Amino acid sequence: MKLTHSKDWYARRIALEGDADIGAGTMAAIRESAVAQTQAVPIDTRIAFGTFVELWRRDRGWDAVKLAEVAGVNPEEILEIERSPQSEPEPNAVFRLAQVFEIPSKILMELAGLIEPRTPNLRQAAVRFAARSESVAALNPHEREAFEAFVSAIAETAKK
Amino acid sequence: MTVSQVYLKKIAINQLVDASLYDEITDQHLAMWKSTWVPAMEAYCQGRAEAKKPDDSQWDWKWKAEGWRPFLKYHSFSIVCEKELQGLMLASDVKSARVQDQFGKPIVYVELLASAPWNRSKIQKPKRFHGVGTVLMAAAVQLSIDMGFKGRVGLHSLPGAVSFYKDDCGMTPLGNDAAYGNWIYFEMTEKQAAEFRQK
Repeated sequence: MKLTHSKDWYARRIALEGDADIGAGTMAAIRESAVAQTQAVPIDTRIAFGTFVELWRRDRGWDAVKLAEVAGVNPEEILEIERSPQSEPEPNAVFRLAQVFEIPSKILMELAGLIEPRTPNLRQAAVRFAARSESVAALNPHEREAFEAFVSAIAETAKK
Repeated sequence: MTVSQVYLKKIAINQLVDASLYDEITDQHLAMWKSTWVPAMEAYCQGRAEAKKPDDSQWDWKWKAEGWRPFLKYHSFSIVCEKELQGLMLASDVKSARVQDQFGKPIVYVELLASAPWNRSKIQKPKRFHGVGTVLMAAAVQLSIDMGFKGRVGLHSLPGAVSFYKDDCGMTPLGNDAAYGNWIYFEMTEKQAAEFRQK
């Protein structure tokens, strides 16, 4: 691809260009790029991702609506993340949750299966965490231990 | 990789200056993005509410560019001026037109396009260079022509750039697209591409 416009052409065209901040693209494009990089649906880490989201909010006594409000996403998105590991979460929602959780977004994107797995230790930690967590009404000490262990694993991964 | 001689307007001297358009985002460009673009964006976003941050503040160009390199359907572009990165674009060639008189015909679709933070009036006043959008749209139109698509181009505009695509580029707005974050979809027809290239 070679551009051959004259300098005069650029002068005329740039003079026509207003002062708007230029940009194009959508979160769908980002998701598409993620899908292109991911060879298979990472159900195991996505289960851990959903469990982590659920336990994080329950640990604070939040319901899904409260978390959705704070993160600025739809409550339906939170429920889908927690309950439907087959569904691919919206990258924007994952970004926003990462900010609420104060976790690097790349790690949460990896857990959510939106980018190619790069850290085997994270996946192992996620699978262990998902396997140890039980879906009960209250966060019991066992869950809390698993939850805190997983948070530590994420923190360790983030340092590497 | 091909490098084209292009021009940007340097605001400080109010004159066009030489710039280079690469039809590839190289590792060197990604290193420039990380060392200058990212810190500038982070500095601007520091302490701002989420809604006040630029729509592309979370875009990871390194991830996108590296992830898309193996796929033939993707094309990447970068602008360098005065040894600094000024704009980036990723486009694909497998989508179809939506405008009625060219419906179903292949288009170049601009997946992602952004100018460097210092070239945005909302981030830096005065901004450093003007014309990044023009150069990147010229590249998209030329790619479309080279692909045999006769200049047909489609994209979803970031909210702040609607006037650029509608008024400055003469593209046709097709309304908010619920499937793409409800952002406005624009398309450039063959005729509009010819006008864009002649003006």
